[in-house]
Amino acid sequence: MSARASARASATLYGARVARASWLGRLIARATARDLLAFVVPGPEIARARGLDLRAAGLHLSPTPRHANVLVVVGWLPEGLREPAAVAYAQMPRPRAVLALGAKGVSPLPGPDVFVDLDQGALDDGVAKLRRLFAEGAFDPEAESFEAAALRSKTRYACPMHPEVVQDEPSTCPQCGMDLIPREGAAGAGHGHADHGHGGQDHAHHEGMDHDEDTGEDTGGQAHGWFPHPGGAEDEHDDAEHGESGYVEGSGEGHSHEGHGREHGLAHGDAGGGFETGEHGGHGGMNHENMDQGTEDHNEEGPGHEKHGDMDKGGMNHGGHESMDHGDMGFMSMVEMTQGTPRSSDGLQMEWVETPFGPLFPGLPGGLSLTFTLDGDTVAQTQAGSAVGARAWEGLNGPVESFAERLAGLDPLSPLSHRLLALRAVESAAGARVDESDALARVGALERERAASHLNWLAGFGYLIGYSWLAKRAEELQLALLRADAEEVAGIRTRVRQFTRRVERTPLLRRKLAGVGRVPDLDRAVGPVARTGGRRIDARLEEETYLPLGFEPVVLEGDDAHARLRARLAEAEQSLGFVEEAGGVSTPGAAPEIDGASGRGAATVETPRGAANLALTLEDGDVTITELETPSARHLGLVEGVTEQRELADALVGVASLDLSPWEVVR
Amino acid sequence: MTTVLIILALLVGAYLVAVLEGWVSTGRFRPAAPVLSGVALLGRESLVPRKPDRIFFEVGPVLLLVSAVLAAAVLPLSPGLIITDLATGALFVNAALAYVMVALLMAGWGPDGAYAMVGGFRFLGQLVGYSMPIVMTIVGVAMRAESLVTTQIVESQATLPNAVYQPVGFVVFFVAAMSVCFLPPFDLPTAPGELAGGVTAEYTGWRLAVMRLARAVLVVTLAASVTVFYLGGWNGPVLPPWAWTAAKTLAVAAVMLVAGRHVPRLREEHLLAWYWKIAIPLALLNILYVGIVLIAGSSSSMSM
Repeated sequence: MSARASARASATLYGARVARASWLGRLIARATARDLLAFVVPGPEIARARGLDLRAAGLHLSPTPRHANVLVVVGWLPEGLREPAAVAYAQMPRPRAVLALGAKGVSPLPGPDVFVDLDQGALDDGVAKLRRLFAEGAFDPEAESFEAAALRSKTRYACPMHPEVVQDEPSTCPQCGMDLIPREGAAGAGHGHADHGHGGQDHAHHEGMDHDEDTGEDTGGQAHGWFPHPGGAEDEHDDAEHGESGYVEGSGEGHSHEGHGREHGLAHGDAGGGFETGEHGGHGGMNHENMDQGTEDHNEEGPGHEKHGDMDKGGMNHGGHESMDHGDMGFMSMVEMTQGTPRSSDGLQMEWVETPFGPLFPGLPGGLSLTFTLDGDTVAQTQAGSAVGARAWEGLNGPVESFAERLAGLDPLSPLSHRLLALRAVESAAGARVDESDALARVGALERERAASHLNWLAGFGYLIGYSWLAKRAEELQLALLRADAEEVAGIRTRVRQFTRRVERTPLLRRKLAGVGRVPDLDRAVGPVARTGGRRIDARLEEETYLPLGFEPVVLEGDDAHARLRARLAEAEQSLGFVEEAGGVSTPGAAPEIDGASGRGAATVETPRGAANLALTLEDGDVTITELETPSARHLGLVEGVTEQRELADALVGVASLDLSPWEVVR
Repeated sequence: MTTVLIILALLVGAYLVAVLEGWVSTGRFRPAAPVLSGVALLGRESLVPRKPDRIFFEVGPVLLLVSAVLAAAVLPLSPGLIITDLATGALFVNAALAYVMVALLMAGWGPDGAYAMVGGFRFLGQLVGYSMPIVMTIVGVAMRAESLVTTQIVESQATLPNAVYQPVGFVVFFVAAMSVCFLPPFDLPTAPGELAGGVTAEYTGWRLAVMRLARAVLVVTLAASVTVFYLGGWNGPVLPPWAWTAAKTLAVAAVMLVAGRHVPRLREEHLLAWYWKIAIPLALLNILYVGIVLIAGSSSSMSM
């Protein structure tokens, strides 16, 4: 056992499948050990940014937790991702394991089966250990099931007319006086998980509501949709289908009320245990008919859509056809069914399905919470946010010595740019000057990060658009660049140039990307997004260090995903040229010696995503941020414009082409 | 006996396709990988989503497998080595493959998940694109053989394979065949980056194993049909006939698997537009061309 690694004392896997050990079991366990499929949290791009090559370590990446058996947690997991990570874990079929890299505290996830440091050697050790664990402990007759408070559902009370009114206790709506209706949601962080003994009372609250439900909490975990495996070995358990976890429709056998108008939606499960167990007959065949009885539920501004509000809890989740399944409904004509539902631009009426594409979606950066309301395969509405951003910039305030460290820790995708931003702002506040060689070394480091960041983006983008060769090559180059010393950079630059030429010659690539992701409001954009709209905006233009280097920003016309791809490739190559000229790639050191200096300072750094501005006040060695403006925060507002009324794939390409980093956004 | 042999050949083919696919995607040749992952899948839980349309959910993968095997039933491995030499063999291939769409639609609808559902309906759109060209190009093949019997189609290519005789038809059929087995860049229903696995996203354990097997068999079937219709099937020197069919089929499958890695996934609208605006006219021209060549050939032989 390696000294760096530590593992659970026993040889069994926490996520073992309940089964007796037999020769067949041992055989299967050994096969499983050689077939490790990883679902990476927060995302593969974080692993790449940290210089980890998961493939080389023997892990195959899986697009969905359903097909994975190892949950790889890279680094510290921010609060907003812990629950989605636990959900993803629950969605993985057993036997399954958690491999934590670099940080241990990942509750509500179970403790990691293997915990190692964040570097390639340790990762290799960890995978070897994981293989042994799978080979020996994949099946265990006494495996415990995974129970976490975050995975349980609880009942909260919401107003049918004012979806923003949600309370923990039954009462009336302060705005309209209607009785609040119980609905099931996840007991997530923030609203605790107390037992709500609402046993028989909820039937009093069924007026005019759509999805009332008993939580069944008092009947024990089995009734919950959240986590499936009460008994273990049998296959027919209900599943942690978290897209639906937000609200579970009343689905018990025959409890739907038949009625008209608003009361249509009235359906309630039997007290306790009215949940799906996979074998219920009550909804067989019916639940997929587009029976939107509660016609009002689908008004855009009506409560119908809000009811899915909690959905982003589930990482990968599958938004299901929630509003469709209402027990035993009689025949409805097509006209009746679609009456009052929103019409899309093409005039076709379809049920709108709210579907989460994040925070753990394989084609987008981890932590980006994107929810599309799908009208067929067209995006009707978009909500974008971050699950991993800071709650507020104030959290970064504190002693000046470690300020650069804190700001660098903000965004694992571009730590150096943020470190540089902090250093420059502090220096400007303290009136300190940086000598020329230091400034040049900083340019080298910043430009290397830019090149690596663009390649990292390209690897993820290639995966999204299904261009495997591109994804693989970009990943190889990015990892090589991160590991390269100053001499090797020239070689990588040549490889990037060849790569660029090859990408430009790719058939169909232009056809696929041209015109996709046009930003309606370019004035709000910065960085490559603005520059591909023909704007010569670049913070580096004002920096003295760049003058002798003959810097000229890469400005392209097109304002679409294809232009952004070309621009990032060109910038990566250009940046590597600057790294060569700067002659060094050393990371900028700690904050300069500032003894009790005070003052106000501001700085701008052209990060890989665009200009970031920081203004701060320095007082007796303490930093207070007065303003921090990041490119991703600006670009997050563009998401709606590039997605709405777009086909799903185009919308995703558009979002990805903006290269958002959810880490540098205030939640 | 023949049936057993063909099924065995299909399984071996599916295995080899899986090895090839792994090799192409990971860059490492691991002949044991498909067996390992198959066994591992059998040992994994097979979850049922919370509100499945149970019948669709269960039937989807199996139907996919059945339709692929059915289509293979009329494709000869060598003279006489064919499950059933139907008089309408070439059409039967199409009829059987129509159920690929049904299977995927069921698999997409069944689990009650948005990703899967979008994937399923995307394939319906894909079918609207590829189904016409695939039938029309077969017409050109049948015209030359003056028969729909697959063995006679192979015999008609004894001197010159159809890939050379009617190259346009070959290209259109090849592309359409890739669409049928939803290989990249036609992997719209499964799109890992866009739909997190799409129609396969909700399948786990042995059900996923069935799904993957079905997909591999489908690739073999389509590669075999390219071989039979355009590459002269078992015709070839030195090697025994079955070896020629097998080698050509594998080569076609390899080309299909490799090609998709070097282009991005198509957009749904482009797929449909190109099939209808380019592939269908080309397939019609191909029929016209084959007709002219046949008439010219027969009149010149009559005049002799």
